[in-house]
Amino acid sequence: MKPFLSLVKRDLTLGLRKKSQIYQPLVFQLLVVTMFPLGLGSGAKTLALIAPAVIWILALLASLLTLDQIFKNDYDDGSVESYVLTSYPLSMAVMAKVLAHWLLTGLPLVLFAPVLGVLLHLPSSSYGVLMLSLLIGTPIFSFIGSIGSALTMSLKHGGLLLTVLVMPLLAPVLIFGAGAVVESALGNSASQHLLLLSGMLVLSFTLVPFASAAAIKINLE
Amino acid sequence: MKKQRTNAIVTLYHKLGSPPSFYRISGYFLKWLLLISIALTCWGLYDGLVLAPADYQQGDSFRIIYVHVPAAWMSMFIYAVMGIAAIIAIIWRMKVAEAVMIASAPIGAWFTFLALVTGSLWGKPMWGTWWEWDARMTSELILLFLYIGIMATYGAFSEDARKAARMAALVAVVGLVNLPIIHFSVKWWSSIHQGTTVSLTGESHITWEMLRPLLYMAFATKFYYGYSMLKRARLYLLETESQKKWAHTVITENK
Repeated sequence: MKPFLSLVKRDLTLGLRKKSQIYQPLVFQLLVVTMFPLGLGSGAKTLALIAPAVIWILALLASLLTLDQIFKNDYDDGSVESYVLTSYPLSMAVMAKVLAHWLLTGLPLVLFAPVLGVLLHLPSSSYGVLMLSLLIGTPIFSFIGSIGSALTMSLKHGGLLLTVLVMPLLAPVLIFGAGAVVESALGNSASQHLLLLSGMLVLSFTLVPFASAAAIKINLE
Repeated sequence: MKKQRTNAIVTLYHKLGSPPSFYRISGYFLKWLLLISIALTCWGLYDGLVLAPADYQQGDSFRIIYVHVPAAWMSMFIYAVMGIAAIIAIIWRMKVAEAVMIASAPIGAWFTFLALVTGSLWGKPMWGTWWEWDARMTSELILLFLYIGIMATYGAFSEDARKAARMAALVAVVGLVNLPIIHFSVKWWSSIHQGTTVSLTGESHITWEMLRPLLYMAFATKFYYGYSMLKRARLYLLETESQKKWAHTVITENK
């Protein structure tokens, strides 16, 4: 457990020193959300109708901005090779990297979501479900994204490829994440959607580290 | 007697695993696969476009089914073949499996594209719209994205074809695990959103005269896939083994 924690701590320290990774996705979200009333008109009803989808798609896009960073820097300075060479399981190192990435980029998205909700006139009753769905959904972004990041880390301009790889795989997350918020905005129970979302989190938690580890090994050949 | 037979199969299996033998053995089949696929296509299209009776509801425009449905079947069939080849390529690092996997991706992508386009052309007169976000169309579209992702991964690592193939194989396997999840989530999603999705009713009540051409076309596309995939796989093997002696003899002798 000690290598795991020290790896998480190292990544958090690095991330907190270079804060752009943390606040830039939030600024991006704020900018794009401003464009919606400007393009659609400021009618509260229209905005409230699209709010769940917009907030979830923005969370997806904002995550995509930072996903390539999971392994990119470590590949450039050679740390990835040391993860492979040590006796510590590579899949656990992947898990630590994903956890650190989520704490630095996913958690701020969850905490920032109510601000976007206010700007888009989301009904006040669905803020809890919004944050809960994002709390379950954003780690899946980081997990699935780690496969894409491991595949593209050796490429100079891998960002677009990563988007092409990751986006179709994340479609189910968007369906049930945004679906949960829509249901709660309509006054229905969102528990079905949230449970399916939790199932996906468990599945990606158990399977993805092995896929990412395999991708890293192939990439270093 | 029995033992001998299994031995022959095992030998054939091992032979197919080595690029020179695969190249030689597949060479015998190429011409026949192409001929059978052309013959079946001509027969199937004649049977479907001329002999089969017109549908009492849809008239003659139902006949696009003879292109649309085989293409949609192939889009999934090829992904399954590609996924199995990808698993073999990752675990046993067989070069021939890599070749089959890389060769399948563009063919599968084109069949998926064909299924989407013909479906859209069919949808306009039948449903009055080019595109409907129903479950089958949406998951077919996502399948196309997966194919594109696999091909893009292979293209991105152009300096080392074998590494590129293994990377693409990993993407294919991840997609294989995800496909059922995507399929069912899209299905549930569309059943939540549109209670009355337009769907073609009475599909199970298809007469033999209408079904027969469909089967011809289904086999024709399979044979075409066999031909096209082997042709591409042979080229991949020639490219990656271009330094080897057998590839050199093949290239110089064939000119």
